[in-house]
Amino acid sequence: MKTETRTSLGVGASAPRPDGALKVAGAFAYASDLWLDGMLWGATLRSPHPSAWIRSIDVGPALALPGVFAVLTHEDVPGAKFYGLEHADQPVLAVDQVRYQGEPVAIVAADHPETARRAAAAVVVEYEVRAAVTDARRAALDPACPLVHPGGNVVRHQPVRAGSAGSGAEVVVTGEYEVGMQDQAFLGPEAGLAVPADDGGVDLYVATQWLHVDRDQIAPCLALPEDKVRLTLAGVGGAFGAREDLSMQIHASMLALRTGRPVKIVYGREESFFGHVHRHPAWMRYEHGATADGRLVYVKAEIVLDGGAYCSSSPAVVGNAASLGVGPYEVENVWIDAYAAYTNNPPCGAMRGFGAVQACYAYESQMDRLAAACGLSPVEIRVRNAVSQGSRLATGQVIDSPAPLAAMLGELAAMPLPGPPAYAPSGSRRQGGSGARARGMIGTREEPDPRRLPGGVGRTTRGEGVRRGVGYGVGIKNICFSEGFDDYSTARVRVELLGGEPHALVHTAAAEVGQGLVAVQAQIARTELGVDRVTVAPADTSVGSAGSSSASRQSYVTGGAVKAACEAVRRRLEALAAADPGLSLGELLDRYGPVEETREYRHRPTVPLDPVTGQGDSHTQLALCVHRAVVDVDVELGLVKVVELAAVQDVGRILNPLALEGQIHGGSAQGLGLALLEEIQMRDGRVLNPSFTDYLIPTILDMPPMRLSILENPDPNAPYGLRGAGEPPTLSSTPAVAAAVRAATGLALPRVPIRPEDIALAHTG
Amino acid sequence: MIPFEYLRAGDPAEAVAAVAGRPGAAFLGGGTNLVDHMKLGVAGPDLLVDVSRLPLDRVEETAGGLRIGAAVRNSDLAAHPLVRERYPVLARALLSGASGQLRNVATTAGNLLQRTRCPYFQDVTTPCNKRVPGSGCSAAGGYTRYHAILGASEHCVATHPSDMAVAMVALDAVVAVLGPGGARTLPLAELYRLPGDAPQRDTVLEHGDLIIAVELPHLPFARRSAYRKVRDRASFSFALVSVAAALDLDGGLVRDVRLALGGVAHKPWRATRAEAELRGGPATEDAFRRAAEAELAAARPLPGNAFKVAMTRNAVVATLRALAEEGR
Amino acid sequence: MRVNVHVNGEPMVADDVWEGESLLYVLRERLGLPGAKNACEQGECGSCTVYLDGITVCACLVAAGQAEGREVVTVEGLSEGRARRRGGAHDRNPRPDPDADGVAGPRLDRLDEVQRCFVEAGAVQCGFCTPGLVVQAHSLIASASRVPEDAEIREALAGNLCRCTGYEKILDAVRLAAARVHARAAAEDARTVPGGADD
Repeated sequence: MKTETRTSLGVGASAPRPDGALKVAGAFAYASDLWLDGMLWGATLRSPHPSAWIRSIDVGPALALPGVFAVLTHEDVPGAKFYGLEHADQPVLAVDQVRYQGEPVAIVAADHPETARRAAAAVVVEYEVRAAVTDARRAALDPACPLVHPGGNVVRHQPVRAGSAGSGAEVVVTGEYEVGMQDQAFLGPEAGLAVPADDGGVDLYVATQWLHVDRDQIAPCLALPEDKVRLTLAGVGGAFGAREDLSMQIHASMLALRTGRPVKIVYGREESFFGHVHRHPAWMRYEHGATADGRLVYVKAEIVLDGGAYCSSSPAVVGNAASLGVGPYEVENVWIDAYAAYTNNPPCGAMRGFGAVQACYAYESQMDRLAAACGLSPVEIRVRNAVSQGSRLATGQVIDSPAPLAAMLGELAAMPLPGPPAYAPSGSRRQGGSGARARGMIGTREEPDPRRLPGGVGRTTRGEGVRRGVGYGVGIKNICFSEGFDDYSTARVRVELLGGEPHALVHTAAAEVGQGLVAVQAQIARTELGVDRVTVAPADTSVGSAGSSSASRQSYVTGGAVKAACEAVRRRLEALAAADPGLSLGELLDRYGPVEETREYRHRPTVPLDPVTGQGDSHTQLALCVHRAVVDVDVELGLVKVVELAAVQDVGRILNPLALEGQIHGGSAQGLGLALLEEIQMRDGRVLNPSFTDYLIPTILDMPPMRLSILENPDPNAPYGLRGAGEPPTLSSTPAVAAAVRAATGLALPRVPIRPEDIALAHTG
Repeated sequence: MIPFEYLRAGDPAEAVAAVAGRPGAAFLGGGTNLVDHMKLGVAGPDLLVDVSRLPLDRVEETAGGLRIGAAVRNSDLAAHPLVRERYPVLARALLSGASGQLRNVATTAGNLLQRTRCPYFQDVTTPCNKRVPGSGCSAAGGYTRYHAILGASEHCVATHPSDMAVAMVALDAVVAVLGPGGARTLPLAELYRLPGDAPQRDTVLEHGDLIIAVELPHLPFARRSAYRKVRDRASFSFALVSVAAALDLDGGLVRDVRLALGGVAHKPWRATRAEAELRGGPATEDAFRRAAEAELAAARPLPGNAFKVAMTRNAVVATLRALAEEGR
Repeated sequence: MRVNVHVNGEPMVADDVWEGESLLYVLRERLGLPGAKNACEQGECGSCTVYLDGITVCACLVAAGQAEGREVVTVEGLSEGRARRRGGAHDRNPRPDPDADGVAGPRLDRLDEVQRCFVEAGAVQCGFCTPGLVVQAHSLIASASRVPEDAEIREALAGNLCRCTGYEKILDAVRLAAARVHARAAAEDARTVPGGADD
């Protein structure tokens, strides 16, 4: 048998996405596109208050509306009333009290989405409003603060203690930093369709990141055995962590079971802002001590993360912030305290970068301060302290695979810088025109139709007061789940003859959320089996868990599972071939029938951090990315234009160059957004900007050209030597952009996102 | 949304009669603002009279000026050769608003009449005097980054969101109105009102009044004009502050000037004090700064938007300085 | 009310339309054309971009009545031979198309050049923004007399939000499509001009 045939679209190739043609044609079925005859539409009534007792709920007026089929409250939840990823503390529907604005109180099913919305609005809820706890530092650290949950406001406190504190530094820099509440802002709203089944169970088609953990939470609340709650992944319009927690899954299932009809729920954009967790806002105080020549002696840090009203994944986020709190730097003495606190703000949980993002902004800001204090360049201070293979983290964990940070910084710094500002110096303005004009941006008579002109028209500065700045950022991210979690994936691979040709079917429950895992799974099967024709089956719960599409883990873990299942299939085929030499793969399959194997794959075990010392080998893999940002800042008006982002990332092994570059571009964009634009504005526990007009994510005009260098220093512990790649760019682009703005303005800028007034006010002249 | 009827008017008089005859009726232009507000529950008309396809979609040359039909699309207006030649400030203001797709449907009159982006106005669960008169103002003491620093009242601190209107106010635009009582014209600057104790009224228009056209007068020096907008994002975001200016230089002196500000008040703010300060004076950065400060002496910033005073001043100075240099 | 509208070249009728429905809702829920996407329904993201009488608009902010008697082209209408109407639950999950050419979905050679280039250039990740971007980019390329510059591409696409790609691959896709479309147009011109390209 010949299986050594190298296919052209195997591992390492820019294999096209199998879903690409459907997506560009508008034919891909996203969760919000699902449709069944006779289906009803669900809607959710949410609390307008961040903190209140519920004195009464009257569903009568809603039920009386024509077209309304069901109105349900917590009393109608068939089983457990609470659910959650780490602790079941979140009510399916509010029970007697609400703890954040937007908490679901009642759900409705009706025959038209507008009827459902009106019915939800017609439910009469009598609230007794309480004072809201909105200051996470107070919640975490002040014993007199009112409690959001009876067990106390601290979700997790994780110390890290290494060496001795405060020992003999020649240079000390301190700083307090804040990170605003970022939203994942995926484009495809939360959506799903629940279909009641003849066996009393429910089939749920839903956009999620992890089918099995959804099922594990849904089934108890519906009082159904797991096998009666069957989930199939519907098309997912982006995730970035926001789909790790449940949104409409239980609600739609309850309504479907109650009405006996399929029920679809699609959140609008405003509801989406209330319907998923956000990135934890953070307050951080850091103190770095170093020798006069810039070698770190100690780092002390206090990190407070606002967990919001419910636990979600806050404990794990704290673990990351603590264990990665000094960044990829060698330092013997570390004293870190990381906290997440309950408040009456919106629940916070997973978002790309997961606790490492906030700390990265702070420690990188500190490294720049330290560089300035020591008279070193930002690159040099980082090179002098850079980790490498064999380095020990603050947790005591030794980095046991390549971590060539110094070389990455060298390569980054050696990349050519973009040309000088397009704005001509003032003396030559008449010849060259403003930069804007030189680039054909400002409309005049001789110019083309202004509809073709860059819309920066209004925002473009003309050169005066524009300053160029360059900044660097470095980040380290754990890949896969950490701290002892049994992190595995399952793959079923079947090889058979279809139309006379060998064909492989790959079946996993791994959620394709946009990252391109469907392409990678097929590539692995092609490479391992030598079969060109591969189909990736829709992800569902009829196969074992694949774990979450988060923590940059799916190429690693599900990729590993697909590889293992393919290897098992191949071994069986090889055994058949040995018994029947000379037959081709097609002939073998013709004679012996399909060959199918299922395998689970686990990465190396990890251990929880010691609750007192924070010591332990808590991570299975660590990944590095470094960014350089170049910005032009109009200091009079506070406007920042990012001119270029450059990045160097070590991914161990490139599986799909095109998809990988897309991950780095996209991750960098989200980091840029956090640096300059993105924040959920809160006031007294209320969200003020739940729309895409007011929550600003980068447009194509905000994103600069990017320059990438991707390194392949393999991790011997990982399949193909790969290193997870999706999150690291999100860490380092934020501090790089912030540092560039600081370099241009000379301002401290201790908070992101940086707003125009943070710059312009300081230059009021 | 509440149930409503839809009617496509055949001519302006029919449209006016249809709306005037029904208290809950509203004109529908491009829909980019009203349809959104109906979804949010901010607006609930019981009859929509579609005027977007009335024959008011032409830009006509007048004696040195232009008459712009009310239904002319923002994208067409921005692209019009005479607008670009005579009033570049207007083309730039139009292009700095919204996105291509929205400019393709948004009409001239609809742009003038778009309503504030105050988050409390758009959130029907909060008090707002503009949405529900007498219910209170949530912005006062609330989140005020995008709010007014000039001409506000205790009842309302909202700002007008249009870019186009700021340019038109600077250009001495006049609006032609057809109402139940007949046709009339009024300066655009007088169309808008300050909130006072009736912030529910953005303009002086009465129910059933339909804007038919906007007239831009002959203003030769507007060929040297500019619009500058300070905002959080490079595209598709509303102004923190904006400046529309046209400058007529006589050597080193300001012969004439038009200056209007956006993002600072309940209406596009014609900076008449600054203009008076500038006319006949030197075209220098110092003079521009003094003029801006004269205008902003009346500023009453809120706790959350004090930065706007300096930002507005800087934007005025930068805009005038660039126009002055262009003319040298 | 009843709304008559030409969609992708076919006359279509939607009955029982409630006046508050948008063109987007009518397309998606009444005419079985879910290609235009419902990401914000406030005109802020461009995911629902369709052609209305030849210009691109956000279908979410067009009231259903405003579409009466007009021509709409959606992303589905840019490619040939695709079923226009959804038959029901069979669309629940993507399945390999019988016409598929090795990858699931419609055959690449039946796609519009812009669609094909989005796939080739890696401009598609989650894909939720893609239909709107494809229509908007299609409009830019169709209306330009030459290959647009980057600045022009950026301006044209500034009303379309994408959260996955950072826009780099989208720019690649549009550059590629524009170059191909204009090269093809130039070749056709050369053929039709006497004494043109006869090499």
